[in-house]
Amino acid sequence: MSELVERTRNTSELVEPALELCGVHAAYGGIEVLHGIDLAVPAGAVVALLGANGAGKSTAVKVAAGLLAPTSGSVRVAGHDVTGAAAHDLARIGVCTIPEGRGVFPNLTVRENLWMATQVAAVTGGVAGVERVAFERFPQLAERRSQLAGTLSGGEQQMLALARALVTDPAVLLLDELSMGLAPIVVQRLYEIVAQVAREGISILVVEQFAQAVLGIADRAAIMVNGEITRAGSPSELGSELSSAYLGG
Amino acid sequence: MNDRMERLGADAAQLNVSRGPERDGWWQAAGVVAMAAGVVVAFVAYQLSRNMSDPRDISSMLILSVSMLALAVVGAAVFLRYSFARFLRFWLLRQLMEDHAHIDRLVASIDNGRVPQSQDHP
Repeated sequence: MSELVERTRNTSELVEPALELCGVHAAYGGIEVLHGIDLAVPAGAVVALLGANGAGKSTAVKVAAGLLAPTSGSVRVAGHDVTGAAAHDLARIGVCTIPEGRGVFPNLTVRENLWMATQVAAVTGGVAGVERVAFERFPQLAERRSQLAGTLSGGEQQMLALARALVTDPAVLLLDELSMGLAPIVVQRLYEIVAQVAREGISILVVEQFAQAVLGIADRAAIMVNGEITRAGSPSELGSELSSAYLGG
Repeated sequence: MNDRMERLGADAAQLNVSRGPERDGWWQAAGVVAMAAGVVVAFVAYQLSRNMSDPRDISSMLILSVSMLALAVVGAAVFLRYSFARFLRFWLLRQLMEDHAHIDRLVASIDNGRVPQSQDHP
């Protein structure tokens, strides 16, 4: 196992990482985007995957979520090889993805979006349970329960996407560019919620272009450049590396 | 290890993982091969049966021919199944994108305080 995987593992954890990418290569058609990345998300930890636009971060999330099959390498969940597993199967076992952008059904209401979660996972309490759990955590959504999701603000849409993911009680959460198109204060509020979720024991992989937004809550971080992870470690260790990752050199 | 990880580990162990990045592509190819092979072999077997005199040989050839026709039908069904899966996924994505764009236009119009002009009903 490579040094980078070891470094992204939390050494205090004796269990298998919740999610692990080992030597993953991935391509769109004939164009290879990931060139053998190694990344581990320890159980209950927040790992930030950082890098400039086009570095391959979202592709890494797609591979982890089962949306894109790797051309080589493996994806492991809780120590079990799940390479090639379908995205809906991974979602069903608790690997939940919030994709880049809004990730909600714009022409369904807030309640209907939440109900969609019951179609994917066995949710305690059914539809009523879903609403109770979601609205307890996000009271703002309760006020807009009958509103079309497409008419919510960007921050509320991300809250809805988070709520829909959390009602399924996931074990691993994959967040792709949570801050995209949102005001800094909204981003801060969302990452406070993410930190709270992490404290509940959910393992989280956050992909972010804007490093400062996520480094405050991350336990580990990795920097991605041109489809390769060039550096991994604790957020404090990576401070000086970030500028070169984004600006080159 | 917390409950979540225990559950995740147990569920991941039971996950039915099918290998290969292009499963649909393989099934499509298998369907085409079965379809083509079925038609060709059925035709050849039928033609051979016409030049035979022993009724038992003719029966064997006709059975082979009918079996190959069945294989061609199954191959066509497999090909259609996986072709449609790919097409329908694309169609669903396109539908979602169009819905996004439509709602964006509506919201923008509401924000601007005007009703959008429909091109279908001038």
